[in-house]
Amino acid sequence: MTVIAVTLPLTLAYAGLTALALAMKRHHEAALSAKPPAARLRGFRIAGWVLIALMVASCLRLWPTGLALSMALGLVTLAGLPLVFLLPYRPRLMVRLAPILPVLALIATLILT
Amino acid sequence: MKAGLRQSMAWLHTWSGLLLGWLLLAMFVTGTSAYFREEISLWMAPELHHSEPSPETPALAWAALNDKAPDAKSWDLRLPDARSPVAELRWQPNTPAAPDSGRRRGEQAVMDAGTGDLLSPRASRGGDFLYRFHFELYGVPRIWARWLVCVATMFMLVAIISGVITHKKIFKDFFTFRPGKGQRSWLDSHNATAVLALPFHFMITYSGLLIFMVMLMPWGMNAAYQDGWRGFFQDVFPRDEATSEAGAPATLTDIAPLVSRTEAAFEQPVRRISVDWPNRDNAVIRVSTDKAPAVTDRRRGGNPTLVFNGTDGTLLERQPGDEAIPGAFRVYNLFVNLHLARFADPMVRGLFFLFGLGGTAMVATGMLLWVSKRTQQLRGKAPGGALRLVNGLNIASLTGLLGALAAYFAANRLLPVEWAGRESWEIRVFFLAWLLALGHALLRPNRRGWIEQLAAITVLWASLPVLNLATTDSHLFSATAWRVGALAGFDVVCLILAGVWGYALWRVVQRRTIRGQGPLPQRPRPQQSMAQDPRSQRGARTAGDGA
Repeated sequence: MTVIAVTLPLTLAYAGLTALALAMKRHHEAALSAKPPAARLRGFRIAGWVLIALMVASCLRLWPTGLALSMALGLVTLAGLPLVFLLPYRPRLMVRLAPILPVLALIATLILT
Repeated sequence: MKAGLRQSMAWLHTWSGLLLGWLLLAMFVTGTSAYFREEISLWMAPELHHSEPSPETPALAWAALNDKAPDAKSWDLRLPDARSPVAELRWQPNTPAAPDSGRRRGEQAVMDAGTGDLLSPRASRGGDFLYRFHFELYGVPRIWARWLVCVATMFMLVAIISGVITHKKIFKDFFTFRPGKGQRSWLDSHNATAVLALPFHFMITYSGLLIFMVMLMPWGMNAAYQDGWRGFFQDVFPRDEATSEAGAPATLTDIAPLVSRTEAAFEQPVRRISVDWPNRDNAVIRVSTDKAPAVTDRRRGGNPTLVFNGTDGTLLERQPGDEAIPGAFRVYNLFVNLHLARFADPMVRGLFFLFGLGGTAMVATGMLLWVSKRTQQLRGKAPGGALRLVNGLNIASLTGLLGALAAYFAANRLLPVEWAGRESWEIRVFFLAWLLALGHALLRPNRRGWIEQLAAITVLWASLPVLNLATTDSHLFSATAWRVGALAGFDVVCLILAGVWGYALWRVVQRRTIRGQGPLPQRPRPQQSMAQDPRSQRGARTAGDGA
């Protein structure tokens, strides 16, 4: 199990949590400086949960079921902590990282494993 | 006394957290380090670092055991793996066991896996000291210490549940952190570390209690068995004792072919070889490989194993190690394995280490919040004795413990190698350093105390790799350290942690003193002018980003 392999679920968790944060009015306004219509918030919420589901699926591919579910919970935690501290200091960066990181992780996983 | 549920829960959370927080912090720090117990032990035994596994290792160990204990009752040989580059030899001398002596430990030696030389590492308790401290403390009678730890763990569970009830907006504030607002920021960071990692905290606390279930709830067992837990364990974990007698002397077969046969059969590297009655005509050799990691697996045994006749090498039995484990066992194993990260490869172990650090941060922020809140209520007046005491104990239990930990590692490198009782001196250095930090913290339970201790631990942790460079040849710039991995990892983690302490120091120093002599390093305001309103602050940030 290389470190590379775990970057994909980790970054997916980050992207998913960022989407869920952007689905909340307060954080949406802070990070994107725009008043969001309800439909967009719902869109972000759905996107967030889809990403989290993808992340669980990628965990299941890496580990046996029991371990995978435990690790999925753990990785959400791990991805959430930087998010919480980026949000007040660098909200723009937080949003920009969300689509970039999973793509980078996917490329790294495909090349290096 | 008609307080609402939330208020009474807040009261419970505050006071149970404060009373046992210091102990919990020590348990979190040592427990987190215990995920790398073997790696720490290895780092603390530089004599073992140069061992290099080779295909010859089983044969070399065979020769060493034949030389050391040809007439033993049994041999047990552990081959090098990812976590340890040496081969461990254990044997049980053929002497009648003392009746009722509990576990029989036998004798053991460590072998260089490349050369076959027996190694004599410096006396040190290594990572085991920290691992034991996590649940038995030190110097306290074992059973008392375990009860104390159990009580603390139960209060942790109480604190988790009451904390969740107290938290007003658990989902709304899920991502919320408002920096530069003193008490508010500590509350946010306490919430963030607690809520985000809630599954981990709950799991680690609940499984911690489960591990001690026999001690906490003995009544069922006592009712069912006359001899209490002894009888229970005999039934649940039957020990297959070798009851046979020594046969006639005979020559053991060659081990190398048996190893390659087992590796071919299970397509896994061989990890463990055990022999009953070596050099007798009734010798039995068991060759086991790794097992696939599974969180519900039991602790010992269950590895795929081939059993051979010891004299002619014929295959007696094939144990694929896949027998079903009953449901209740699986649940128990799940929790225990998760607590100990027993199944884990190095990466998963590293993740658990990070979660442990998160738990440490949660306890620490909670305790800093306690002081922050009461300092804020003083509105500039001098803090009273109780507040000063709590702040002093906070300093000692956080930075003091971290300093003592670094001192423990440094003592391993600095104390003379050949010194009677050096392993207890390492531990004494640990406690002396901690005591020193406690004295200092009680004298200066204020911002200066924090600054001085943060500076001290930054220097101490950063100096560990340097010390390693000066005293061993398996330092960061050596090929050995990177080949074994754990060694380089240890030094790198020391440097990273030193960086974290240094950053904390910088933030505390940078903070302007607010309201006279605040005894606490509140999270410094990034820019003094934008601390009033989170909205205006974010606006300013965004504008700043665009510029």
